Amino acid sequence: MLNQNVARGVFLAAVALFFASNALRYPIGDLAHAGPGLFPLLICVPLLIIAGAIIWQARLSAPVPLQFNPKNIVLIMASLVGFVVASEYVNAIAGIVVLVFIAGFAGTNYSWVRNIKIALGLIVVAYVFQRFLGLNLRLI
Amino acid sequence: MEVLQNLAFGFGHALTPENLLYCAVGCVVGTLVGLLPGLGPLATISLLLPLTYSIPTGGALIMLAGIYYGAQYGDSVSAITMKIPHASSIVACIDGYQMTLKGKTGLALFTAGVSSFIGGTVAIVVLASLAPLLGSIALKFGPTDYCALMLFGFVCVSFVTTGSLLNGLAMCLLGVLLGQVGTDLETGMERFTMGLPSLIDGVSLVSLALGCFGIAEITKNLDAKEERTPFNGKIKLMPTWPEFKRIIPSALRGSVVGSFLGILPGGGPVIAQFAAYGLDKKVSKYKDEIGQGAIEGVAGQAAADEAAARTSFIPLMSIGIPENAVMALMMAAFIIKGIQPGPNMIAKHPDLFWGLVASMWVGNCFLLLLNVPLVRFWLSVFKIPYNVLFPSILFFCCVGTFSINNSLHDIYTTAAFGLIGYIMMRLAFDPAPLMLGFILGPMLEEYFRRSMLLSRGSFLTFFEHPISATLLSLLALFIGWQIFTTLRGRKAAAATEGETQPASS
Repeated sequence: MLNQNVARGVFLAAVALFFASNALRYPIGDLAHAGPGLFPLLICVPLLIIAGAIIWQARLSAPVPLQFNPKNIVLIMASLVGFVVASEYVNAIAGIVVLVFIAGFAGTNYSWVRNIKIALGLIVVAYVFQRFLGLNLRLI
Repeated sequence: MEVLQNLAFGFGHALTPENLLYCAVGCVVGTLVGLLPGLGPLATISLLLPLTYSIPTGGALIMLAGIYYGAQYGDSVSAITMKIPHASSIVACIDGYQMTLKGKTGLALFTAGVSSFIGGTVAIVVLASLAPLLGSIALKFGPTDYCALMLFGFVCVSFVTTGSLLNGLAMCLLGVLLGQVGTDLETGMERFTMGLPSLIDGVSLVSLALGCFGIAEITKNLDAKEERTPFNGKIKLMPTWPEFKRIIPSALRGSVVGSFLGILPGGGPVIAQFAAYGLDKKVSKYKDEIGQGAIEGVAGQAAADEAAARTSFIPLMSIGIPENAVMALMMAAFIIKGIQPGPNMIAKHPDLFWGLVASMWVGNCFLLLLNVPLVRFWLSVFKIPYNVLFPSILFFCCVGTFSINNSLHDIYTTAAFGLIGYIMMRLAFDPAPLMLGFILGPMLEEYFRRSMLLSRGSFLTFFEHPISATLLSLLALFIGWQIFTTLRGRKAAAATEGETQPASS
């Protein structure tokens, strides 16, 4: 099992290194005439130090198991992607149906009837948004 | 006298039928969304920010402010009746829920409503008197002072919000780095865009906010798989006269504490609630009852909560620096509407400033009218099962993202930040300081580059100006003290371990 504290430090270090390595590709300049890469590079330094400190602290304290349940986040991501794809290639009504039916799997129980009711309700809301608030979503 | 004249001018704007409607809509929607499980004021404003795009500037700001304090109040209702602890209503759970268990839900809700009204009213007086004064002081601030003030704010917010300076600061810095994505304003060079045209204008604030606070929050709630029982208890709202008399002193104490703590960097409703609760536990006539369902335990913290929510507008509108993540989002809303909050805001847009201040009191009245007599209606929100709620929230996230540029592809960015937000949540990072860093990051860079240019690249310039020198010295002292206490704690723990080991062996 991964230690949450170590994972936290590694995550920050990875982000800092990503931004620092990219910042080095832009002109750095000097302090008086800073290039676009200088400020991000200056920010990456303390972030990397903090990442190191968190990893060092993690070695001294009791490990905390990292809990990660990919099922729900994957379903939520899939429902959002499904909404975009269906709205783009069919229309927003299809997008809403896809979103509700995929996201429904992440709930505590699954019900087709409930999903149909939610989708119908959201279609009405989308129509109200389009008709009265000028939302430019292609419903049909 | 001048304050009264200005307030009268503000009421002239706030009481137009259009602005009254926006204020009422903000309060209703804010309360409604704030009541929903897992959605605090920050998530509520993130979700509803795109709704204000098509509304005139004054009305949009009045509506957003209404959403903010409406959500703040809705939050406390869910805490009192169902012990659903959002970050902004943890203290309301203590005595408020105890009162519910004793069958005094109505009294607790009445106390919270009236105390919030008192807190809000006191805070508006403070806001109207202090903001112009602070604005005139802020005119003396140079780029080095702004840099130091932002760094000071980062450290305070990081420590107060997360409780861990390292974690909070890391999130702030991460936010600053995300704020660097896009086109460099001085050279016109693209930075960190990875060749994606959608990133040329930078990361969308709404995508980041909806991803980190909306989608990540939904997924966290789904992971928890908590089935909540809706509140079905009886509600008797009106208190007896002796009960009513107990509310006033505590609410006034909370108002003063909240008004003061709302102004400080890193301050805001959460810290104000704890401070007011702590003060009541020390000085209240009924201090022994606090913690077991006492009126004072609800009144003081509710007043402090609303007072701090309003006075936290002071640094934003007078200096132009938001002091917490919610205010950072409000600042984004100001900027989207073409208003730069800061010392010149009061002079340039007096109608907006005084209109907003006056609308807060109007909003206060709306909240009192809406929430105290209609509380039974609001509680029916809890009867909506989460399985119905979360697909609807997801849909609103999609609509919110789409409405900015009319682009479906922006929803991919929101989804990506949802994933990042979820990972951060699992790593026990609080995304609130990230938001502050993201919004202030470009400003920090601009002021830093200007300071360096003016001083020909000398860092000493930060110590040559009295305001920045004072702020940075305070910062150094605070960080030094943090390191010292951490090391001392470790030594003490090691010593205790050393003592217990031989005994056990």
